Amino acid sequence: MTNLDHGKFSRVTTMFHSLLALTVFLLFFTGYAVAFNAELWWLVELMGGNQGVLAVHRIAGFALIFLTAFWVLYMLLRMGGSVGITAVLPNLADIQAFVQDVKFAFGMVDERHPNARQFAGYSADEIPLISYIGKGVIAIFTVELILLMVSGLLIWQQSVLIDFYNSQSVVTAFVGFHGLLGVIMMMGVMFHTFEHGFHPAFYPVEMKAFLPKADTPEFHGEAEGESVTGIERLRLKPSWGWVTNVMGVLTLIGIVSVLIASMDYGGYPISETLVFDEGSLLRTVGVNIGILVLFVGLFLSMYGNVLRARYMRQIEREDRRAAATDGGEPSDAR
Amino acid sequence: MSDGQGSEADADTDPDSETEVAAAEDPNEPTEVRRGLSDRAAFWTSGVLALVIAVGSVWLVGIRGIHFEALNRVSPTIEGGGVGAAWVQGNTLPALDWMITLVHVADVLMGVGILVMFFVHWIAFRRLAARMRPPDAPRRSDEAVATDGGERSNGSRSSSDFRSDGGSEARPTGAPRDRERAGPASDGGEAE
Repeated sequence: MTNLDHGKFSRVTTMFHSLLALTVFLLFFTGYAVAFNAELWWLVELMGGNQGVLAVHRIAGFALIFLTAFWVLYMLLRMGGSVGITAVLPNLADIQAFVQDVKFAFGMVDERHPNARQFAGYSADEIPLISYIGKGVIAIFTVELILLMVSGLLIWQQSVLIDFYNSQSVVTAFVGFHGLLGVIMMMGVMFHTFEHGFHPAFYPVEMKAFLPKADTPEFHGEAEGESVTGIERLRLKPSWGWVTNVMGVLTLIGIVSVLIASMDYGGYPISETLVFDEGSLLRTVGVNIGILVLFVGLFLSMYGNVLRARYMRQIEREDRRAAATDGGEPSDAR
Repeated sequence: MSDGQGSEADADTDPDSETEVAAAEDPNEPTEVRRGLSDRAAFWTSGVLALVIAVGSVWLVGIRGIHFEALNRVSPTIEGGGVGAAWVQGNTLPALDWMITLVHVADVLMGVGILVMFFVHWIAFRRLAARMRPPDAPRRSDEAVATDGGERSNGSRSSSDFRSDGGSEARPTGAPRDRERAGPASDGGEAE
């Protein structure tokens, strides 16, 4: 039992998080198969082909609107929710946390700011529920998702726009907004995957997002003394080093490639100038690596749920064993 | 990028050494007369050079204008009848062009910000990992264990351990080690 055992998400939020991930990945795969068609033409075929890809995209978009609306309403309507609105708004301490994180990276300070901790340390009560990155994710994803949903709805049935602007081709501009907005989110999700999959203490996946708070054993003991976090007590997984380096490189290439591809992106379906043979081979490789990183994220999201199920079964077994007369102490009880 | 301590200072020496380039060093191998680089230097040098060759060769054929891109494409063109081919021209409103430019700028700014965060976290993770117990540390500390803690335990590691082993009451293995762990297969013994 260490101090990192403290829950973060409610049961509903864990479900929401996993379903949102699934939906958003599906939207990325379908949307960017179309938008970055020069690089991801194969993905169009995988995602429904020329005729079906946007149908799949719209179905996923509908699911996204439903999920988001449900979760926001649920959070607002539930009295005495676990987190107040102030807990998710960035404050001064979060800015300090970012500055200290930069210093930590350069070796100027020895510890990360409490607001930067994914690895709790202390006792769970002294660490903010959401790190500064977590607050950033919530804020950015909220704005992004709203803008994406609104622009997506506007181009769902283009007649609204065509009627308003009295022009048919203007729809392409909104398709452009929609695609470019998604790029920010896509880069963010790649970072999010790296950040929560490859923290050495949590590798290969941070369970706080998958195991509901109610099922997470909380530990409110004193810190062990050797450091504030007690991270020295944890053993590094053997594969962490090389896997993290590989994933780091892939994530970097993915983010940069998607960014570069979006700079050239003049608005699908017909770009400002009709280009044939556009695109470069290197960029094609890079964008595809970005998609690979997203697939890893999708896999880790699934894996977190597998681990949760496994853990719950283990707890169940231990409960049964404890209920038995004297079944020899389980060696690994947590 | 923080790639451990593999220095490529002597990258221009002849890499055709007779020592095998192995991913994991074995410090226990008998020290013969070596004429090439050390394994570690050879490993990183080969890696960097291979990357340069791979990227360079692809770049070379790229600028030679051999259009691999034209292969078997789902043409998103009017002729190809691809997605959205119903529109035969692009946006014509200057105001919307400005807004698109604005989103482009936001993309770049956010992208750079995300990259900064990404690097900060990558480096921070490496620092945190350097403080953790090495992978081959004994699973449970024995009161009677030797002082240097170098003993390999071959205890089975349960794969269903979710997260690191929270249960062990390890004794601190001395001061937190400052040196960065180089990527693959570090064994607690080498120091450069």
